[in-house]
Amino acid sequence: MPDTRLNDIHMLSTPWTEAERLDALYSYQVLDTLPERSFDGLVEVAARACDTKVALVSLLDSHRQWFKAAQGLDVRETPRDISFCTHAVEDDADLVVPDATLDPRFADNPLVTGPPHIRFYAGTLLRTAEGLPLGTLCVIDDQPRPGGLTEEQTRTLSILAEQVMVGLELRRALSSRSSLVAGAAESEGEHNVRDLELARIAGALAESEARFRAISDSMPQMVWSTLPDGFHDYYNARWYEFTGVPEGSTDGEAWNGMFHPEDQDRAWERWRHSLSTGEPYEIEYRLRHRSGVYRWTLGRALPIRDADGRIIRWFGTCTDIEDLKRHEAEREVVSQELSHRIKNIFAVVSALITLSSRKHPEAGEFAAALKTRIQALARAHAFVRPHTAAADPSSDHTTLHAFLREMLAAYVSVDSGSLVVEGDDAVFDDQAATPIALLFHELATNAAKYGALSSPDGRITIRLSSDDDRFRLDWIERGGPEIVRVPESSGFGFTLARVAIEGQLGGHLEQTWAREGLSMSVELPVAALQRRRHAVCIREP
Amino acid sequence: MPARILIVEDETLVAMELGLILEDLGHQVAGIVSDSRSALEKAGAETVDLAIVDVHLADGPTGPEIGRRLAAQGVSVLFMTGNPSMIGPVPSTIVGVMSKPTDERLIGNAVAYALACREGRDVSPPAQLRLLN
Repeated sequence: MPDTRLNDIHMLSTPWTEAERLDALYSYQVLDTLPERSFDGLVEVAARACDTKVALVSLLDSHRQWFKAAQGLDVRETPRDISFCTHAVEDDADLVVPDATLDPRFADNPLVTGPPHIRFYAGTLLRTAEGLPLGTLCVIDDQPRPGGLTEEQTRTLSILAEQVMVGLELRRALSSRSSLVAGAAESEGEHNVRDLELARIAGALAESEARFRAISDSMPQMVWSTLPDGFHDYYNARWYEFTGVPEGSTDGEAWNGMFHPEDQDRAWERWRHSLSTGEPYEIEYRLRHRSGVYRWTLGRALPIRDADGRIIRWFGTCTDIEDLKRHEAEREVVSQELSHRIKNIFAVVSALITLSSRKHPEAGEFAAALKTRIQALARAHAFVRPHTAAADPSSDHTTLHAFLREMLAAYVSVDSGSLVVEGDDAVFDDQAATPIALLFHELATNAAKYGALSSPDGRITIRLSSDDDRFRLDWIERGGPEIVRVPESSGFGFTLARVAIEGQLGGHLEQTWAREGLSMSVELPVAALQRRRHAVCIREP
Repeated sequence: MPARILIVEDETLVAMELGLILEDLGHQVAGIVSDSRSALEKAGAETVDLAIVDVHLADGPTGPEIGRRLAAQGVSVLFMTGNPSMIGPVPSTIVGVMSKPTDERLIGNAVAYALACREGRDVSPPAQLRLLN
């Protein structure tokens, strides 16, 4: 147990224990924080003053040394047992190693035998006001330095180490101060600390602003920001790059002039609505590109609120979606063309059957049956083909109820009351449409010839129900001719439908020939109804 | 009453089938044409009571325009398409839209309805015909 060993040594040789030292270190709440410019600057000066490749602010945690600032080194921490810093802290003294390969404590150290090939090391302890060493400010080089540091370099390093401690104290004071109630009595000394803190806050703010600008300028989108009243006071570089307008020229309300005249009123109205309600802003409009051409753009904005929920700023983005829109339109054209051709093929196949069978009256019945099946498939295709807003704004989804009504309208008037579609509805896609179209075509054709639809009082109920993963369709014929015996064999059409339902959709089909009429039930896995959509859902996060 | 019917359809087999169906119903086929130029020529040269017009033809989606021009010449028009939104506003002599492919029964009912409208008789339209007026 390395800690026990270390503690034992400390008990003997230092006026503090390792536990006290770690308590002190943790009170600064600095471990694993982001780099800060003030510390980065100090290591830069240290490396320059001591003419070394590497300089570090190294803080010694229980099992590691962690670098608050590092110049010339990419890692943020190393294990404690190989750290040079440990030796300075454990000895409670500054440490200089002129050539590590000649020092028995370090000759076998992996940092010496491998990268970064440490030869020269000089570390000055970072001590709290109570004298507890938190780590070191150290300089490191891969060349030995038999003479060590000059007196001037040593002095510089120790002044810089004090500055590191000032920085750490300020950080700590600042974080505890932020939780104190303002207006508490302050002594003269606290006053000075406060001034320093204010300066530090201002510095931190400037730094965070610089960081924000750097991030915002590197984004592919245009970014803007407004005051709570909607006054635009910031645009990132991309905005000026896209629009080509002089910097500052679109501040205030002048941005609206960059929009297509037909979109300006709409954009204003939406923006005013968001400003008055605090609702997120989202709109598509045409934005004038520097070339003079308007490009479709997606505008979005969100309010930033303070602790009391008051809006203190709006941050927005504009994303160029012109190419996206164009591709969408092209896709739409291709999809319509395809759909048209597929429909034509159905029409041609259907015509071919009629024409071919015309000279063969004996094939008439066969041809008519085949033709009506092709027509059922054509109707199924027309119904489930990918609809777009432009082609058919009325149907967002293809639902089973609507599909069955439309399919069966070819056989029976849905309004007459002889057909009822009831129960749960479901969205489905063209994968399922073909088998379902075939099945209901056969059922309806048979019902018209022999079943419920062959008598004026007959009626058909289609009942749909779903539980978690099964979907059930019931076809119930009533009021038709009485069924005196079960048909010996089901027709070819019905065999076809059964194969499609059980083979393609993984469903189960059952017929019941009751005296009062045929009943049939189909059970399907829910996923079979919308395989494609299902796949899409899985792909989407 | 047999009528003279013009078929405007660029898919030969579909046009032939339609022609045979119409003849079976006792009508005369005034011609089978596949683009706007020949459609208008034919309608100018022959007596045509009714035209059955596809939307997509040999010279593009010209069906709706052909329908409007024929209607202006006093011809009754039935469109055959699966996409009625392509057609747009139409004059009153354009009767309706049949989806493609159509069955013989619907063609017979739609033609009978169109001709009845033409003669000013009050009849109810077949259920599957999408009316445009």
